[in-house]
Amino acid sequence: MEPDLIRVVDAHYTYDADSDRPIPALRGVSLQVRRGERLAIIGRNGSGKSTLAKCLNGLLLPTQGDALVKGMSTRDAEAAQRIRATVGLVLQNPDNQFVATTVEEEAAFGPENLGIPRAELRARVDAALRQTGLWQQRDRNLQHLSAGEKARLAVAGMLAMQPECLVLDESTAMLDPGARRELLDVVRALHAKGLTVVSITHFMAEAAEAERVIALDGGRIALEGTPREVFAQEAVLDRLGLGLPAAAGIARGLRRRGWTGPESILHTDELVLALAPAEARPT
Amino acid sequence: MASIASLRHVSIGQYIAMGSVVHRLDPRGKLICFGLLIIATVAATTYTSNVLLLAAVLGLVLLARLPVGYLLSTVKPAVPVILILALMQLLFYGGSADAALLTLSWGPIHIVVGRDAVRMVVTSLLRFLDLLFLTSLLTNTTTHGELTRGLESVLSPLNALHLPGHELAMIGAIALRFVPILGEQMESILMARESRGVGTGGSSRWRVVRNAQQVAALIVPLFVDAYRRSEEMMLAMQARCYRGGRGRTHLLESAWRLSDALALGLTVLLVASVLALQHLPFH
Amino acid sequence: MSETVVRVAGLRHAYMVGTPMETAALRGAELTVSRGEIAALVGPDGAGKSTLLRFLNALLRPARMGQVTVLGSDAAAPSLDVAALRRRVGLVFQYPHHQLFERYVGDDVAYGARQLGLSAPEVRERVAWAMAAVGLDLDAFKDRATFSLSGGEMRRAALAGVLAMKPELLLLDEATTGLDPGGRSELHTLLRRLRDLEGMTVVLASNDMDEVAELADSVTVLQGGRTVAAGPVRDVFYSADGLQAVGLTQPSTVGIVGALRERGFALPGEPLTLAEVEEGIWRALPA
Repeated sequence: MEPDLIRVVDAHYTYDADSDRPIPALRGVSLQVRRGERLAIIGRNGSGKSTLAKCLNGLLLPTQGDALVKGMSTRDAEAAQRIRATVGLVLQNPDNQFVATTVEEEAAFGPENLGIPRAELRARVDAALRQTGLWQQRDRNLQHLSAGEKARLAVAGMLAMQPECLVLDESTAMLDPGARRELLDVVRALHAKGLTVVSITHFMAEAAEAERVIALDGGRIALEGTPREVFAQEAVLDRLGLGLPAAAGIARGLRRRGWTGPESILHTDELVLALAPAEARPT
Repeated sequence: MASIASLRHVSIGQYIAMGSVVHRLDPRGKLICFGLLIIATVAATTYTSNVLLLAAVLGLVLLARLPVGYLLSTVKPAVPVILILALMQLLFYGGSADAALLTLSWGPIHIVVGRDAVRMVVTSLLRFLDLLFLTSLLTNTTTHGELTRGLESVLSPLNALHLPGHELAMIGAIALRFVPILGEQMESILMARESRGVGTGGSSRWRVVRNAQQVAALIVPLFVDAYRRSEEMMLAMQARCYRGGRGRTHLLESAWRLSDALALGLTVLLVASVLALQHLPFH
Repeated sequence: MSETVVRVAGLRHAYMVGTPMETAALRGAELTVSRGEIAALVGPDGAGKSTLLRFLNALLRPARMGQVTVLGSDAAAPSLDVAALRRRVGLVFQYPHHQLFERYVGDDVAYGARQLGLSAPEVRERVAWAMAAVGLDLDAFKDRATFSLSGGEMRRAALAGVLAMKPELLLLDEATTGLDPGGRSELHTLLRRLRDLEGMTVVLASNDMDEVAELADSVTVLQGGRTVAAGPVRDVFYSADGLQAVGLTQPSTVGIVGALRERGFALPGEPLTLAEVEEGIWRALPA
């Protein structure tokens, strides 16, 4: 079985290619998404992240190059349904994605499209709603949900299709910290159960949780590696208009002043351990 | 924030959960009854038929536990226009001189207010109310999901003729869903403009004209917004494997019950009575 | 002692009053802002931040209970000169495509300035200044169609349109939600400049605590339509019954300081920004 769930090969994408103002969004991106991994894609606005996300499930076809899901090319019209049932893309604004009235109807939309028989529909919807903590609200009018609940419902809608990979296009961008945490908890739990997750995000702390990080700049890959490797490249990140997670930023500043602490600090607890190795004295 | 002042004036398309008998009826039945009652409304041009019809419709509204005052308040903005139209109809409808109730003449100007004109105006106003209540009855007691399914069912004969029955139903459902969203959008745009000094200053005498100008100026931004949203919705639906009505299953299905047959029967009876009253020798 | 530019007390408000969908948005909100400061308004989604901001430029007027005084004027008084107030108070909405309505960018940015009755050369000057401040090249953008701009460009244009009026009080409704780190830090720099060089008072509604820690002088915390905490940023973020008590997230800096102190690392004071935390740690390190 191929280890790569998704493979992007030298993808180029240009918006309005035939107009007098073509906008190149991807300029030769090649990457793999391995089964079961958690990948974060970061980059400033306009770097091509959303375009790339839409190429991963065939919503957009690269103007040059290819994107393959489980070996199937997104250019293959026959495979389109299977590809989209395998790679679920959740867009940023849930309000513009919802078609139904109640929570459970909304979650059912995806599998209904696949012609899943009623008994299994029920099972899938219930499972998806429980995984996202929305089962108690299944009868509610979805207009009345909070922003965080709507974001989770958008995820539930995808989960009900039982994809092998979930792509989240800045799903946390518009949420307050509490709702963001709840959504990330759901994503973490899903990943622990084996779901492949690709998160497109602005939040460096979120990217630091991933197993692998890719940084895009001007439609090309500028950095790739583990979070530690990527966030160690301070100069490049500066140039890309990206920041560091708070603890990493502080560690960088301290090392510049001459601190001799460990090189690749990423998380708060690592910083704390490096600065205060001994146990706290009882107060 | 989901609810804004202007939504108060938009009762179309908003499901108000009241748990009444009407709410529980099968949507297919409701749609057919709605169609029949609309036909009755259009056909009713006499006093007696209109009185019966309005009484019945009001009775239904009360049965559905919908707040009558709230429904009426939605047409408050239109009242001036309606009054002007009614006045013009009264004055200029004409009709036979021997059925005249009132004749006014100043020199060359000769206005006849006939009995026919009065009847027209009164019945038009009553029928307008019928229309308002009937639409509310349908959309406030039926969720979008139910409406879509109902519409699909009712339009399914079209599918046999290779016409897009399901797709039409889907279009209707999404359009309904967008009404409050666009209402909110309109409110936001108006507020943003007011904040920069639009619509303030100048005499209030011209306020009506200015309001009209403002609404006209909204059209382009609203259209652009609706266009963008629908683009995103289209992508989202594709991402969930939507491919039209072919092969779709449904999580929830309505069962046709005795109450539905009863409702349909009573509606037919009502419509027949209304039409019968039309042909009585006296009006 | 600084002049009070905004005073809100006991403000209540509900949407869709008299309908089956009535919802209370504010249940006794309080806000005090002094001249020349950057005041943050924080709270979870639905806490009432946007609603409260709309009272400050008289889009909403106090009907039920409460007192709203802005730049010395009572916003509840029927005699309020709304137009005059809106010339001095600018509100930047969360979504730029709600705010732009002219066909061309230049016209849109100039709109507010024209409403002020300025002469044509003055309007041109204001537009040039505003667009430079937000980083939009005047010549490149003034004849562009507003709806052809990217999201980020629209945001800048919307902000420029409000800045061109040179308001004394600038209100920003979640202006940074959705911005990338670069865009956010640019906006912060701009806001500081506006405060320091133009003497503008800024009220920023935000749910990003890190941003508030870096930027704001004072913070007011709304929850469920009520003010649950208010005061200088340091006091609110470091108080014993602080944000965590009401279930809100802390800025990452405060979290780091707390974790260090728990391990016995003696870090004095109440550092808020990344720079302050770094400085504090450096000083506290054994030589």
